[in-house]
Amino acid sequence: MDQVAQAIAQFASVGVLLALIIGSVWGTIAGALPGIGTVAALIVALPFTFGMSTEASIALFLGIYVTSVYGGSISAILINTPGTPQSAATVLDGYPMAKAGKADLAIGWATFSSLVGGVFSLVVLIVAAPLLARASVAFGPAAIFAIIVFALTCIAWVSVGSTIKGLLAGVIGLWLTTIGTDDLTGYTRFDFGQPALMGGLSLIPVLIGIFALAEVFHRAGHYFAAKPPDVSNVGFRMPGLGELTLRIPQFLRASVIGTFIGILPGTGATAATFVSYSDLRRSSPRRENFGKGEPDGLIASETANNAVTGGALIPTLALGIPGDGGTVVLLGVLTIQGLTPGFDLAQNNPHILTGAFLLILIANFIMFGLGALGSRIFARILAMPEPILMAFIMLFSFVGAFVVRGNPIDVIICATAGVVGVILRFAKYPVAPIVIGMALGTTFEGKLRQGMISAQGNFVEFISDPIALVVFGLTVAFIAAPVIGSRRSGKRSV
Amino acid sequence: MMKQMITSAGLVAGLVLTASTAFAEYPERTVNMLVPFGAGGGTDVPARFFAVEMEGILGQNIVVSNVEGAGGTVGATQLSQAEPNGYNLGFLPVGTTTTQPHLKRTSYNADSWIPICMVSQGPFYLVVAEDSPIRSVDDYIAMASGDGLKFAGAGPGSMAHVAQLTLDNKLGVTTQYIPTKGGGDIATEINGGRADATAWFADFGTKFGWRALAVLSDQRSEQHPDVPTLAELGYDTQVSVWFGFFTQAGTPDDVVNILSEACAKAVETDSFKENMAGANRLIRYMGTEEFGPFFRTAFELNGKLLEDAGLVK
Repeated sequence: MDQVAQAIAQFASVGVLLALIIGSVWGTIAGALPGIGTVAALIVALPFTFGMSTEASIALFLGIYVTSVYGGSISAILINTPGTPQSAATVLDGYPMAKAGKADLAIGWATFSSLVGGVFSLVVLIVAAPLLARASVAFGPAAIFAIIVFALTCIAWVSVGSTIKGLLAGVIGLWLTTIGTDDLTGYTRFDFGQPALMGGLSLIPVLIGIFALAEVFHRAGHYFAAKPPDVSNVGFRMPGLGELTLRIPQFLRASVIGTFIGILPGTGATAATFVSYSDLRRSSPRRENFGKGEPDGLIASETANNAVTGGALIPTLALGIPGDGGTVVLLGVLTIQGLTPGFDLAQNNPHILTGAFLLILIANFIMFGLGALGSRIFARILAMPEPILMAFIMLFSFVGAFVVRGNPIDVIICATAGVVGVILRFAKYPVAPIVIGMALGTTFEGKLRQGMISAQGNFVEFISDPIALVVFGLTVAFIAAPVIGSRRSGKRSV
Repeated sequence: MMKQMITSAGLVAGLVLTASTAFAEYPERTVNMLVPFGAGGGTDVPARFFAVEMEGILGQNIVVSNVEGAGGTVGATQLSQAEPNGYNLGFLPVGTTTTQPHLKRTSYNADSWIPICMVSQGPFYLVVAEDSPIRSVDDYIAMASGDGLKFAGAGPGSMAHVAQLTLDNKLGVTTQYIPTKGGGDIATEINGGRADATAWFADFGTKFGWRALAVLSDQRSEQHPDVPTLAELGYDTQVSVWFGFFTQAGTPDDVVNILSEACAKAVETDSFKENMAGANRLIRYMGTEEFGPFFRTAFELNGKLLEDAGLVK
């Protein structure tokens, strides 16, 4: 309680609140713009922090960090294009729901889910941050590898139509992450002698290409023939109380998964959304409707990715170990402000951590307000003539692709991914597995090899990590359960 | 003979004139400063502090752009190919400029740059987890020669790897190097007890709560006066990470001079000192005259070390 009082004393000022609101508004807009993700939004704001107080800088950045994850869901639902990688799983049920004329309800579900996830992870943070921070380092390469394997099972769930095509797309996604310099040996792979490819492919340009550009091309292809159905009823509608209470178990599961994965350093929100989607797709009583606009699918994705924001801040602030790409930039800002997050800060100035938690709590409510009030603006934007809207999406896509690393090759990669994306769509290949593969591939390979090097090539030693074994056991159970289940019901019907 | 001298004198005068008119007003537009690592990272933070001061001194905007990838070589390659006119400068660390060219087939090497000045340098510390049974360098040697010791760091050829190789050579031991993706991963491995030691900067205590066995330098650091130097313990070993301000070879001399003078002023400003101290970073200035040969020596020494370790392909 003492810390809370101290935190309020330090952070309660008009400037800090203003910074938090500006950060939240910019975060939501940036997240919703296809191309400008969390990291790009933070980088754009970085130069401004030089002239700001430490408290206001923290507020600005936390505002952006929290709301940009939410903003991505808006474009995912309305234009079938995740604004950020964290919202890639939101497309799966969000867009079908919008196509069915319930865009307002989809935004309502996404917004409320984000709020639940954000607040849940914060409560966990406030109650148990130091304890969880200490526990997080027990997750070694083998354990993280096992969790990534679990997340990869999501490919099976999202491969609607053809599992083979889905697996193929997933493997291509995994392969794409091996292009460029291999961090663990220093060798360059699959660069075809192009120095520009030495740095590898970054997820964001590929994601923007595959979703945003492919959507533009797809619509252009249909423009003169049959037009795809327009998304109608854009706005904000809260789901009914009955619907919400019915889904409390799903909210809880997704919140726990998001927070937990957020705590594990280097795993990130994208992985969390796919783990959560896999889990709810298996456990939800409404699992048959997934992929057709089921609210549980939106809950899985949006609750989990916002729960990660709080979770990822635990290792970042308490250990100085960034939990994901956004928190790396956050650490940089704190360093510029003369604060070294980590051991010392947690020991001697815990009220700064408490202050940060309070700011995130407020940011979550600002985010909810923005979602509710901003929906009219989204409706206006979507009401503009389609060719103009599509041109804007292309513009932001290329800008976003370039901004991530400042590398011109990313613009070419983005355009290529767009063409490939639209071909895959016409060939009825699911594109989500490519993103899953790419989002998880680097960690998948890196942790496996790091652990194997440490175990001097002994696979049994690598795998004999109790946490990893438990996670592998769960993975096997999750895969086996539906198979066994369908065998049984098959026998009964015979 | 006389005629020849007059012609060449005229030629020289002409060249000087055109050069000075062409660059009389340098810098006359926005200057781009490339950082080959991500925003907010270890290279980016001092680079941005430095850019703020240079902006004030040069009277032009300086745009910091981050071009990431492959140990900084993507950004450095891009920079080395830019026009050498003083508008495309780089803030580059030791690894990108002196170890990566040996490890990868980069199109740039020591001859591609004019090192303008060194801005920051900090020695590495040999560190272990707070609760580690290793209490001293002697314990470290004993463990390495006994049960074996795992030394975590970033990818092969990173500066932590250079530190590990140097320590193995000087202490006469063999440790197992655990390459990771860097920063956070190293900390997780050390705190989780899956690796025993690493080389880290002066913020090892405030950031991760680690303990230092020694500083890899010939003099004790002001930040940690109680940590012994390896030289004191009888091992002459120095490994540090430095950051310098670079332009491409072929940049006109007067532009280099202007930048060199500006750099000398920038590192002396109070705001720069204050910012660097707040971020736990050490300022180390070396002018163009001194930094040039220093850079070349470092380039060759690191090349030799990596070659001996079998890392040069």
